[in-house]
Amino acid sequence: MLLAKTLTSTTFRQALIAIGVFGVIASAIFSYVYLSTSSYVRSRSDRAIMTEYLSLQGAYERSGRDGLIALIQRRVADKSFADNVYIFVDPSSAALGGNLKAWPSTVTTARGWTEFRASEPLPNATNRPLLRAMLGTFPSGDRLLVGMDISDLDSFTDQIKTAVISCVALIFVVAGFASILVTRRTVGRIESINATSRAIMLSGLDKRIPLRGSNDEWDRVAENLNLMLDRIETLMGEVRQVSDNVAHDLRTPLTRMRGRLEKAYHGQRIGEDDQLLIGDTMADLDAVLRIFSSITRIAQIETQARKGAFRTVNLVEIASEVVELYDAAAEQDGTRLTVVGDREVLVTGDRDLIFDAIANLVDNAIKHGRAGGQVVVANEIIEGRPVVSITDDGPGIPVDEYDHVFKRFYRLEHSRYRPGNGLGLSLVAAVARLHGARIEMLDNSPGLKVKFWFSASTS
Amino acid sequence: MTGGHRRILVVEDDPETAGQLVDSLTTSGYQVDLAATGNEALSRGVASDYAVITIDRMLPDIDGITVMRQLRDDGIAAPVLIISALGEVDDRVRGLRAGGDDYLVKPFSFVELLARIEALGRRSDTVVKETVLRIGDLAVDLMSRTASRRGKAILLLPREFQLLEYLVRNQGRVVSRAMLLQHVWDLHFDPSTNIIDVYVGRVRRKVDGQQAYPLIHTVRGIGYSLRAPG
Repeated sequence: MLLAKTLTSTTFRQALIAIGVFGVIASAIFSYVYLSTSSYVRSRSDRAIMTEYLSLQGAYERSGRDGLIALIQRRVADKSFADNVYIFVDPSSAALGGNLKAWPSTVTTARGWTEFRASEPLPNATNRPLLRAMLGTFPSGDRLLVGMDISDLDSFTDQIKTAVISCVALIFVVAGFASILVTRRTVGRIESINATSRAIMLSGLDKRIPLRGSNDEWDRVAENLNLMLDRIETLMGEVRQVSDNVAHDLRTPLTRMRGRLEKAYHGQRIGEDDQLLIGDTMADLDAVLRIFSSITRIAQIETQARKGAFRTVNLVEIASEVVELYDAAAEQDGTRLTVVGDREVLVTGDRDLIFDAIANLVDNAIKHGRAGGQVVVANEIIEGRPVVSITDDGPGIPVDEYDHVFKRFYRLEHSRYRPGNGLGLSLVAAVARLHGARIEMLDNSPGLKVKFWFSASTS
Repeated sequence: MTGGHRRILVVEDDPETAGQLVDSLTTSGYQVDLAATGNEALSRGVASDYAVITIDRMLPDIDGITVMRQLRDDGIAAPVLIISALGEVDDRVRGLRAGGDDYLVKPFSFVELLARIEALGRRSDTVVKETVLRIGDLAVDLMSRTASRRGKAILLLPREFQLLEYLVRNQGRVVSRAMLLQHVWDLHFDPSTNIIDVYVGRVRRKVDGQQAYPLIHTVRGIGYSLRAPG
């Protein structure tokens, strides 16, 4: 989990880019070192060969074929020239002198540089060493080859090459590990901030991001976020205090008002018209009070205080009770109301509130569904999460309204003149938030499907 | 109520609301004592024997819940009706846990209050021991959970039977929609639709349909009442 997050994090990606750039530069530097070293070594040996060739050529020019043969014999016998190879042949390629037995068959050019593998082992060299040589043809047709065993040279540059490549590889591996470690630490800190933010969204403002005491920039970020949360909590508390006071101050005059109206309604000397008037006023007052109590109820739910009373409840039982309660109302509309799905789907939550939420959704489905249609309440476990879905086959709602319907007092155009106060779905949304659940609306074509996704059970 | 035991203690700090409460309870034939503070409620509650005590949650001196708990500790067993401000969701739970027998959310209708007090007062009476309850030609068998009129069985779903049983147990008294929700469905919320009316309508069709006289009556603006004719 953390590793996956580490590998996909921005920090890690930036580290990879840095490693890449650094790697390319390091490779370039090492390649340059390698190339210049090997070319220096090679040019030194080339100079030695050339000098030797020129001195032999001078001997040939000065004292002819025999003089050269004598010189070559001296050279072969001389230990300080042990690394050198010589071959001197007449125009028919018969060997006249030198420590090679015959003119190398792979060398066909008349003059210049050549490299070839010796056809026989040399006295003080490895088996069939690699040779580099300068060769030339004299005007008489005699040919001279002066060379040197460059196997050592070759293995030296090979070693440099290996060293360079392993250096670069090591740099990549070490840098890769280092960046994973650094990123892991960063991601770990960010994750702890994220986890706290999620916990706050789910359960209220009482959580704080833990500090490590390292006094680094992460601790400062956490500190500042915590201070911000303190501030928000204070403000929320003040707002709640105000609405509590409003609710409290309104309740007494409203109770008096209702009391007076009721007294008048039951009064002795009252005409039928007056009674009707007072009855209607009381009904309106009750509607106002209901809206008011719905708002305070939603506010109450949002304070998260009810979380303390959460216990394990069976979603199927609650859904069945809702269906039983709305059975008669559905029957009146000619709607078939059924419960389907699993026998037991357990969630952690508040039974009354879950009931309220499902009841609101079922109520909507019956009211806005097709008369004579079907409303299905399904309980199931999808991807390990308990889900209750309410489906109707009515006209549904436009997709672009999906997000709006959960707002307080929001009502779709065509339902503006029907009974209801536009708070039902806000309450559903508040209940969902309290339970850390997600609401998903889907087009059932025809109709609407509302899915209430509870979070995966942690027990 | 046994032996004219219709004495009620009202604990309410707002003078006008208190006046209205006393008025309507007196009109309904109760003898009412009023306490405006928690301390007064404590002294009065211990001094006399009340059928029901109603306590406002918010009092100037002591919290209503504390008053009730204190009364319980003093050995007062009278049923307590907690009256709390609207929307205080948790108060219900806290109130009932602290030993309250019922609760009512302000503002309430006095008819509702009377219905609750009637039901609470009855609770302190002797418990009905018969297993078959009869009203007019309706017989409700609590053991076999069946109902019949003039010997003819009425087919009821379990919840419908519970509803009828609650109406029969409270026969002659007014039962509010909220009381039905609370006692038949164990629900403490206001569905804000006519869901209860529709449900009662269905039970009523089964019970009163094609009978000599109706038993279930609608009480305008409050709920229902089951009573025999005459």
